[in-house]
Amino acid sequence: MAQQRALPQSKETLLQSYNKRLKDDVKSIMDNFTEIIKTAKIEDETQVSRATQGEQDNYEMHVRAANIVRAGESLMKLVSDLKQFLILNDFPSVNEAIDQRNQQLRALQEECDRKLITLRDEVSIDLYELEEEYYSSSSSLCEANDLPLCEAYWRLDPDTDSADGLSAPLLASPEPGVGPLQAAAPAHSHTGGSGPTEHA
Amino acid sequence: MATYSLANERLRALEDIEREIGAILQNAGTVILELSKEKTNERLLDRQAAAFTASVQHVEAELSAQIRYLTQVATGQPHEGSSYSSRKDCQMALKRVDYARLKLSDVARTCEQMLEN
Repeated sequence: MAQQRALPQSKETLLQSYNKRLKDDVKSIMDNFTEIIKTAKIEDETQVSRATQGEQDNYEMHVRAANIVRAGESLMKLVSDLKQFLILNDFPSVNEAIDQRNQQLRALQEECDRKLITLRDEVSIDLYELEEEYYSSSSSLCEANDLPLCEAYWRLDPDTDSADGLSAPLLASPEPGVGPLQAAAPAHSHTGGSGPTEHA
Repeated sequence: MATYSLANERLRALEDIEREIGAILQNAGTVILELSKEKTNERLLDRQAAAFTASVQHVEAELSAQIRYLTQVATGQPHEGSSYSSRKDCQMALKRVDYARLKLSDVARTCEQMLEN
């Protein structure tokens, strides 16, 4: 783990450049700061007049302060480049990130499917009662007393896809006259299911 | 994408370093400002100067460590992993839920109509 593998030239060069930038920027900050502190010292004897020396010191401090700020900004840019490099090339963490994302998505999918199955079971019970009520009520178009509910259903809905005779989405129970419904779909317009239909 | 421990630790460390660089510049400014006063508070001066030096050394050490780690783990190859398949499966599950909700609303509307009639 401590041995350095042979990286591609570009990557190695890039990492070396990062090191160099780091050293240069830190050196720049320290040197300029030290020089500002030194320049702040008031000397009794000066080669030029005090005013001139003062102006010179003022200008020098401005320039060194600007250098410190520039080095600080360069360090920020270096950190940004390191973040980008880390995100793209740190394979252990990228692998872990992908695994975690997959786990999250799979958990969400399983929860959705689990809730859908629970919903299906609950709705099938309610649908049974609804259809019983519907076919036994006066709003039903056929005489449900004479026909089993499945037959009543078949006669009721001529628009279902009956090309293969398996268009009924409902399952019929073996007992005639009793609601045959084991819900596989809530609406009679749903044509996805197929099941055996029995009628007396 | 903010729940990944390992990646987040290093990225968080880099963000801390960014904040520390800002603190470095602020400390330097405070020291120079203090020096510019006629009566300097020496304790504040020493404290700020020590904080400045310590921060600079800490930033240098941390960034060197990060670059060293990257030298060890970087391969130069692009990472070709993806979470697309599980994302697609999840998307389909959400579509199923939406479809079920749509159909249930149809049933509810039909029941209401029947009740009104």
